[in-house]
Amino acid sequence: MNCEQELRVQAYLDGELDALDAAAVEAHLENCAACQAQCEAHGDLHAALAGADYHRASPLLRARIGKSLDGEKKARPGFWTGVSGGAGGMAIAAGLALFFVTRAPAGLTDALVTAHMQALDRGKPFMVASSDHHTVKPWFAGHADVSPPVTDFKAQGFTLVGGRSDRIAGQRAAVTIYRHGLHTVALFAWADTGKALPADATRKGYHAYYWKQADLDFAAVSDTAPGELRDFIALVKKSAAGE
Amino acid sequence: MPHLDAAYNLARWLTRNPAEADDIVQDAMLRAFRAFDGFRGDAAKPWLLAIVRNCHLNALGQKKRQAAVPLEDQIVAGDPTPEGHVLAADDGRRINAALAKLPEEFREVVVLRELEEMSYREIADVTGAPIGTVMSRLARGRALLRVELAGDQT
Repeated sequence: MNCEQELRVQAYLDGELDALDAAAVEAHLENCAACQAQCEAHGDLHAALAGADYHRASPLLRARIGKSLDGEKKARPGFWTGVSGGAGGMAIAAGLALFFVTRAPAGLTDALVTAHMQALDRGKPFMVASSDHHTVKPWFAGHADVSPPVTDFKAQGFTLVGGRSDRIAGQRAAVTIYRHGLHTVALFAWADTGKALPADATRKGYHAYYWKQADLDFAAVSDTAPGELRDFIALVKKSAAGE
Repeated sequence: MPHLDAAYNLARWLTRNPAEADDIVQDAMLRAFRAFDGFRGDAAKPWLLAIVRNCHLNALGQKKRQAAVPLEDQIVAGDPTPEGHVLAADDGRRINAALAKLPEEFREVVVLRELEEMSYREIADVTGAPIGTVMSRLARGRALLRVELAGDQT
């Protein structure tokens, strides 16, 4: 009872087809009961698999590996050590970050959270380190496609620590980095593409909240408590509106 | 350490054993680290997961040589509960058990596609199989899962 188009329909459902092939499959689906049933079964199984365990490395294992890699790093300095590893390490880290951001298949939230985690993994989540907004804002002018307002909210508990640029939505987004206690908050800004922003979401423990303001799209990404991230966003909105 | 969770998730689903997964991931991260100079591709995640998979196959080969415990017995021992019916409402548990039961060649492609959200091309890179084989294994794996889940309900 399986249709000979089964694998092609599966590729369509897995998002592997280009627009032309996808349209052909959609035309086929209108007249094929077997493939319609396959679509439904695919959706059901996909939903069921969302409940399967995603096993993460334990902190213990992470520490164990970190330790054994530290031994390797000492033996071979300047290798795979990110920002502290000198230009070579930095280039590798930057290359990886770019790759992670550009390939993210599952949408903007994944791209942002991955970019944020990747930056944290490098040890330094910023390219320009400064607590002075007079330093960070001009840096964006040469390194990002937009120049969002930059304000330090130190008095309110969010300390400006620097900025970087990440490729988001096909642009060089300006990313302003804040510290909040032990947490890092990344404020992404890019030119409004005219498209609707995704709903606020949480991935891997990181929250991503979106809004539009003036001609910019904003996203705040952090693993801090949702309430505190909301407070931060309120500060940014108020400050941006005042500028 | 980029992709450590992905590496661990794959190792756990391949071995179905936390301690073995720990060892395999540690081995794989060290190998990846040492081999990174030679890595010139643009896809670090498939590259790392391919190393994890190789480490798993090496460990499996060693284990097979050492002990004559049939794989089937290990699978049964790893199954969560004999009173599966009581827990029929627990969907997470059911899908976990069904996935764990799947033969490895199908389990790995389903995990890479559905849990890691990798493309066919990336899965082919991890498993070393042609894309056509990835597609047919995915279809077969999904069909087997459906049968397992349906049988579970009766």
